[in-house]
Amino acid sequence: MAGAPDESGPGSAAGEQMQQQHVACQVFPERLAQGNPQQGFLSSFFTNNQKCQFMLLKTLQTNPYVKLLLDAMKHSGCAVNKERHFSCEDCDGNVSGGFDASTSQIVLCQNNIGNQAHMNRVVTHELIHAFDHCRAHVHWFTDVRHLACSETCVRDRAILSILAVRNISKEVAQKAVDEVFESCFNDHEPFGRIPHNKTYARYAHRDFQNRDRYYSNI
Amino acid sequence: MADGGGWRVSAGGAREVGGTSSDLVTRLSEPSSKEEAGWASGRAAQRPPAQASFSLQPPRPCETYSAEWKLCRSARHFLHHYYVHGERPACEQWRRDLANCREWEERRSAEAQQSLCESERARVQAARKHTLVWALRQSPPADWHLPLPQEEKDQ
Repeated sequence: MAGAPDESGPGSAAGEQMQQQHVACQVFPERLAQGNPQQGFLSSFFTNNQKCQFMLLKTLQTNPYVKLLLDAMKHSGCAVNKERHFSCEDCDGNVSGGFDASTSQIVLCQNNIGNQAHMNRVVTHELIHAFDHCRAHVHWFTDVRHLACSETCVRDRAILSILAVRNISKEVAQKAVDEVFESCFNDHEPFGRIPHNKTYARYAHRDFQNRDRYYSNI
Repeated sequence: MADGGGWRVSAGGAREVGGTSSDLVTRLSEPSSKEEAGWASGRAAQRPPAQASFSLQPPRPCETYSAEWKLCRSARHFLHHYYVHGERPACEQWRRDLANCREWEERRSAEAQQSLCESERARVQAARKHTLVWALRQSPPADWHLPLPQEEKDQ
């Protein structure tokens, strides 16, 4: 997961930050490309890109997880604009997407996202990172515990997610997840609960829309 | 319902009491020492406990309590909950809340109001008890809406 460099970080962290950004750039090669990364030289890229755009639109319009996240972000002052905050690109490896905090963009790997259900999951996942970035000072590159926290849902998957984008040992990743697990596993924002399926997500969205009445009547 | 810390806004989205339509807007509790209050938290004037009976309506429509109770008791929820937490879910409180909600709506019972509000406050407290790993922002990131670097060059 690409992330924003920490502007206020001390000089000693800058070296590690550069190294971790380098790893992220290897997975998302188009992030540093000159010009518009969405237009490739060959027409085959255009087809993947079109498919990606279409599936993304469908997700944004219909998926209950995503609709709640979009609402929550709008009310946090980070309204999401499809053209500005999403980018369909080709990626290396098996990565499906990422959140680039330095440009406030969600990257979708148009060559690796196979179907609508996959798109739904990737967009939900990346929007959670964007949501965390919007509401908190997340040190994506300089504190692996923060990255672990944003990735925490299931412990082992969090470890795998970290290892995919950071050049650190499995032990370091495991330790980071263990340290933050208790707190981060219980932070269900903005859902208020673990949304096991769309029913839970719809209930969560209902509660979110009702929050003014809720907080003024308890 | 959990407290988002950062994003929760009161009616009208204003931070101040004056911006809201109701002066029954209350702060749930002091921001805990473990957690900063986010900029959009809508934590307005604190309402003294004696005015607990002044809530206009139940925090959630009674149908919501009914739906939550039903979901809690479903087989699927049992499986999810057991898988994640290693124990059965506790659904009784939703049933009590549903009963209190109906009492409140039909008979304006002060006892039912009190009970229901206490139950919801306990839920909010339970959701907040873990220290956050990161510091909440006081305002959204400044560069969220800025144009992309190549767009700036084009312009």
